[in-house]
Amino acid sequence: MAVFLIRRVLQALVVLLLVTVITFALLRMIPGNVAVAIMGPGVYRDPAAIKLFDTTYGFDKPWYTQYLIWLGHLVRGNLGYSWKLNQSVASLLGTRLPKTIALVGISTILALIVAVPIGVIQAVRRNKLLDHVFNGSSTLFYAMPSFLLGILLILVFAIKIPILPAEGPQGEGLGVIFTQFNALILPILSLALITIALFSRYMRSSVLDNITEDYVRTAKAKGASERRILIRHVLRNSLIPIATLLGLSLPGILSGALITEAVFNYPGMGLLFYQEAQSSDYPVLLGVTVVVAVATVVGSLLADVTYAVLDPRVRYVSQ
Amino acid sequence: MGRAPEQQKRPRSRLRSRMLAVSVGAVALALVAAACGGSSGSTTAAGGTKVAGGTASLALPPSTTPNYVFPFTSSAYISVTNSDYLAQLLYRPLYWFGTGSQPTVNTSISLANLPVFNGNKVTITLKPYKWSNGTPVTAQNVVFWLNMEQAVGATDYGAFTGFPNTVVSGIKAVSPTELTMTMTKAWSHNWFLYNELSQITPMPTAWDRTASGPSSCTTTVSDCAKVYAYLDAQSKALSSYVTSPLWSIVDGPWKLSAFNADGHITFVPNKSYSGPVKPSLAQFQEVPFTTDTAEYGVLQSPSASGKVNVGYIPTQDLPAKPANAVVGANPLASKGYDMHPLPVWGINYYVQNLQSTTANGPVIKQLYFRQAMAYLMNQEAVIKGPLKGYGSITVGPVASAPVTQFLSPTGKQGDPFPYNPTKAKSLLTSHGWNVVPQGQTTCTTPSLCGPGVKAGQALKFNFPYATGTAWIVSELSQLQSNAAALGIKLNLEPKPFNQVTALAAGNCIVAKIPCNWDMADWGGGWSFAPDYLPTGETLFKCGAIANSGGFCDKTNDGLIDNTLTSNASSAMYSWQDYLATKLPLSWQPNADYAVYEISSNLKGVWPLSPTLTFTPENWYFTK
Repeated sequence: MAVFLIRRVLQALVVLLLVTVITFALLRMIPGNVAVAIMGPGVYRDPAAIKLFDTTYGFDKPWYTQYLIWLGHLVRGNLGYSWKLNQSVASLLGTRLPKTIALVGISTILALIVAVPIGVIQAVRRNKLLDHVFNGSSTLFYAMPSFLLGILLILVFAIKIPILPAEGPQGEGLGVIFTQFNALILPILSLALITIALFSRYMRSSVLDNITEDYVRTAKAKGASERRILIRHVLRNSLIPIATLLGLSLPGILSGALITEAVFNYPGMGLLFYQEAQSSDYPVLLGVTVVVAVATVVGSLLADVTYAVLDPRVRYVSQ
Repeated sequence: MGRAPEQQKRPRSRLRSRMLAVSVGAVALALVAAACGGSSGSTTAAGGTKVAGGTASLALPPSTTPNYVFPFTSSAYISVTNSDYLAQLLYRPLYWFGTGSQPTVNTSISLANLPVFNGNKVTITLKPYKWSNGTPVTAQNVVFWLNMEQAVGATDYGAFTGFPNTVVSGIKAVSPTELTMTMTKAWSHNWFLYNELSQITPMPTAWDRTASGPSSCTTTVSDCAKVYAYLDAQSKALSSYVTSPLWSIVDGPWKLSAFNADGHITFVPNKSYSGPVKPSLAQFQEVPFTTDTAEYGVLQSPSASGKVNVGYIPTQDLPAKPANAVVGANPLASKGYDMHPLPVWGINYYVQNLQSTTANGPVIKQLYFRQAMAYLMNQEAVIKGPLKGYGSITVGPVASAPVTQFLSPTGKQGDPFPYNPTKAKSLLTSHGWNVVPQGQTTCTTPSLCGPGVKAGQALKFNFPYATGTAWIVSELSQLQSNAAALGIKLNLEPKPFNQVTALAAGNCIVAKIPCNWDMADWGGGWSFAPDYLPTGETLFKCGAIANSGGFCDKTNDGLIDNTLTSNASSAMYSWQDYLATKLPLSWQPNADYAVYEISSNLKGVWPLSPTLTFTPENWYFTK
């Protein structure tokens, strides 16, 4: 297991390095002058300011030199400074990332808690009324764009039947999540309903695959109850694809929350990336990319490890 | 709102303004409030009984948060948000622009009396304002700003125009309340006040320091670079804004009581504010929003944690404005809001590049072609359609809304090129083009088409435009369709705002950027602030770096020079009437800055100024 882990971690570091090189190079290939993008077209009247900007931030150097300087800072824990937001990238991420993690974390846990039983029930009662109802619902939510779901939730639960706030918790720090938890309900629902739709469909399919396996027949032959077979044998094996899916979904969910964040006025990391991409705020883009890349790599790593725990054959093959 | 402020990022000449507007009515009410200043309880006011205290909240434009408090703002941080939503509430500019709904100087709340001109000598007398630390606002505080501008303005001041170095000499604080300077030539008094003095924000003596202690920027220009570096660095510590011994010295009506980098900001009255109107509210809050839709959700459904007293309606939710009405049916009337559209003091246009190095360059240089294109732009239909009535026609280099003393009688008559495809066709055919409706129009008589235009050349143009503003997309689709009807092909290319401005917002030859583009539209045109007098030297003179299309006309330059030196309105009128029909840029409608929703029980807010400034010291609740 240790060798397996070390090899995976080393691979992850190489992937991270490659991600930063490619992202850095791609950002530098975007047409347009960074100084003008940051300072606005009015700065054209002030060429000295453009020159000063280029010198200060190293844009007068080749891109690979800029990259090495940035990498040097990164290694020392300095993610850079946002030219647009007048804050260090670390401070921005420190404020935004916990909010996104809280939103995504709670909604993902909720999705798992709901989706796994639904998937199992659907598989056990396949082609029955309940299966059709859940199938229809999950298709509906899975097909629905998250912004539309968010707006519909606001329309129904904040405007037509005003029982919940139209925006997420407001204020500094994570504490507001607890003091204004009712404000987090709609954003969580907005993310969770779509994730439930996705996970429950995978779960249903996975359980269906497993209940026709030989080991289930053997267990039945040994006289195990259907409930015991389902919980002790089928469920564990059926969770393997969900674990993989969860690991791989992590970066997607982190960055994908931007729509929910935008709709519910909940400034998290996804939204930060989107907004700063529009203003060519490279340090922020690179900082968020590093975080998402780390999340991707860690997600894959966790999926691999979980897979190895759930299915020991994976470890043996790796070794 | 007509356009979300964030979406309509304008290449403001020097972004944003000093001043705010207070209407005559609001001033009158505020004076009543001042007379009762400090008293508790309530007084009778228009529309209800005035209640002292309360907290009013203002929705910030989508995706924008103030993040730079130092009013000597660098190019990277100069913006409406930093200037109007933060710095000017704390630190008042020397002259405030915005009087009611007019973008004119507001003598009531300016820190100084109007300048007195004696030949080229200018005398400025300060009013008896005080900083919150008890020291008076002095002429030396003005010199402090002017010295800093001389030292680092060219690189570090976002509104740099060469002032004061190229405009005045002999700056001298002759007494604590009087400042004199000598203009380098007989500049127009209006121009000098509206475009140069308008930039000054006096700075307290306590700011004249570096990390190692007090400095001498107030008296020695060479000391200013280090002082600027220190203050700029201090302005990067957002978490210290409330407690900073520097930033807590204010001469404006408000002080910060809470500042959250996410945009939640709370102001409380500056008890020692010495202006004519003391704040009546107990608190004034600014609230950030990710999108205008999210903001509208809160307007529709306020909660204990989220309520907005002054907000805006997204374009897609605007009610269509019937002809001759000020606004349409207010969708939030039942929620206790009044609706008010706010025009912005500026003009709007798309650019045709007269310096294009493509084969189309010689075509665009032809005035008849630009006029033909102008006849194909149906400004009225765009305002009635995608803008739902909330916008104004751009008639030339001077804004038509609000109607001001600066707009010529000809300009007041409306669009110089009202939609007329017949005239457009006639202009093309009479200049040697074979017009093929819905086909491809080509030049058949090069001698008539113009120098450099070849036989068989087609009217076919690439046209990048900034995405994100729905009405611009609709407008350009309409223009594309109108042009196609005359065989002119416009290949619309949606691009991010930054890419379009990087391509087209500067004069490509002067800015040394590629000239291989024909037409472009970033959607926002130009706002006049803090150079409030629309004299055109920065946009339309030969070789001006912001002269995007590269238009160059010696007669026009001469007329602009007249506007800089003549005090007569006729100089402005002659210049704008001449230039409006020369189409240095292609006029398009100017959308209202926002359509505001204001709580019915919050008075003193309206009218807001087209210079986009706020004076919440005039606001008060009624019951």
